[in-house]
Amino acid sequence: MENVRGVEVHYYAICKRKLWLFHKGIRFENDGHERVIEGKILHEHAYPKMDKDVELEAFVRIDRQDGDVLREIKLTSKMKKADRLQMLYYLYILKQKGIRKTGLLSYTKEKETVEVHLDDDGEQEVRKALANIQTILEGNIPPFQKLPYCSKCAYKDFCFSGEADQDES
Amino acid sequence: MFVIITYDVGEKRVGKVCKKLREYLDWTQNSVFEGEIQKGKLTKCLNELQKILSDEDSIYIYKVENPNHLQKDVIGQDRSFDHTFF
Amino acid sequence: MNRDIFILSNGRMKRKDNTLYFEDEKGEKRPIPVEQTNSIHFLGQVDFNTSLLHLLSQHQICFHVYNYYGYYDGTFCPRNPKVSGFTVVQQSAHVLDPEKRMYLAKSFVLAGIHHMLRNIRRNGSNDTAYSDTILSMLDRVESARTIPELMGAEGHCRQVYYDAFGQLLKNGMEWHSRSKQPPKDPVNALISFGNSLMYTTIISEIYKTVLDPTVSFLHEPSSRRFSLSLDIAEIFKPLIIDSLVFTLLNNRRIQEKHFESKDGAVLLNSEGRKRFLAAFDEKMKTTIKHRKLNRQVSYRYLIRLEAYKLIKHFIGDEVYKPFKAWW
Repeated sequence: MENVRGVEVHYYAICKRKLWLFHKGIRFENDGHERVIEGKILHEHAYPKMDKDVELEAFVRIDRQDGDVLREIKLTSKMKKADRLQMLYYLYILKQKGIRKTGLLSYTKEKETVEVHLDDDGEQEVRKALANIQTILEGNIPPFQKLPYCSKCAYKDFCFSGEADQDES
Repeated sequence: MFVIITYDVGEKRVGKVCKKLREYLDWTQNSVFEGEIQKGKLTKCLNELQKILSDEDSIYIYKVENPNHLQKDVIGQDRSFDHTFF
Repeated sequence: MNRDIFILSNGRMKRKDNTLYFEDEKGEKRPIPVEQTNSIHFLGQVDFNTSLLHLLSQHQICFHVYNYYGYYDGTFCPRNPKVSGFTVVQQSAHVLDPEKRMYLAKSFVLAGIHHMLRNIRRNGSNDTAYSDTILSMLDRVESARTIPELMGAEGHCRQVYYDAFGQLLKNGMEWHSRSKQPPKDPVNALISFGNSLMYTTIISEIYKTVLDPTVSFLHEPSSRRFSLSLDIAEIFKPLIIDSLVFTLLNNRRIQEKHFESKDGAVLLNSEGRKRFLAAFDEKMKTTIKHRKLNRQVSYRYLIRLEAYKLIKHFIGDEVYKPFKAWW
């Protein structure tokens, strides 16, 4: 079993290719991409009084912890499914350790929060996702597929690099 | 994009704001900086400036999306330096 | 959009208030926005200390050093935070397998020749003799089975290309043949200096990716420190440097008076060097519309995209096709 980070569960729900590349160390998050920077700033400023970047596992960290509530801060609510799965994964990790907590997704800019509870269905979902992630990481790179998300992705230039079919002269 | 940033801040913070802006842009005149900058970098810069500012201070940011659309005229002393060759 | 900084004067480069400052010999200090700095080229004699190196490391800025004659001396690359062991292993596998290695080596050579032919077409008369000769030699490049064979075939094409220079250069610039170390005439001086700049520019771009700059295909790995840069330079030298040389000489923006002779070598003088660097910098910032990204990208960024394509090739994603100017 490979160690799976929270962000990888999130990428899994959005784009399997991104998950694969990230896991192999081919990363573009620190290349000054606008949304990544915005996300970092938001992460830095929101909820200053709560515990920050709490380690659940050596490779898994949660944005904020406030008593029994885990909080993950998100820039937009456009990827709710992925956000929820990521939070379920955190709750799942804690449950393995016999700890029960509640998850809260904070869409700070939109002043919206979504509660996440780990029930049997949720746990099933996490197990399935983890199994699929293992399969993806053991396999070849998932082929490029254009998604609406591509235009705002830090990996865009990598995925779109290439030569158009040209007449050889 | 191309930005022009002007600031009017309390005396104690003038130096701090000026130094911060020097990390990102070119000094034009007293309290004025300009230059081409990526959107992400600008966000980062403004965020760092915000930490320095006090209530009565203000910073104005003028943006030109396409730098080619900018026309700049100078009357009197042109104090702009070469920013590539030293 | 990040800038390359060229330090031509003697002086001191230092860190002050978390940004860069250059102080010239007269003691005049000028700030350089560190956040906008891509890489730095030291052509003058410059003092610096480790505090500067720390700042450059924080911002992942490389600098390149050139000696008195403008020849490349070396590069400082901060510790690279981008590591992908997986990619490096795959990259190496493409050297170890002779067939895979030949594919890439040929790709670089063929793209280089494509750009040589382009230069002849764009700058030459209607005389097609030179291009016809090169085209007739392409078979030998394509059928080469070993690296030395490929190098030999490429060398023959390049010979014809250089023979064509006499026709491509207007204004009576002297030209006999390519001479390096030292360059014997102004045209050679320009090509040598330009090629050094091309090499360092590519090093800076490779550094921003997970590629290993020492693992190369056409050139023997680690034959020089960053031999992958030499490989990629095959594509871009004729596209960027040679065409720049033709433009500058044919428009008389650089003339005989911009050169001097030193110790048996012909070199650019300081005014000539400045003119060439300005033109080079401008060229690297020039944009073209990328057909897949569907937006304007600079020549400098084209090099980064070339590195991305190589990564995709190594990891089994998309077969590498070298960049060939289509316009």
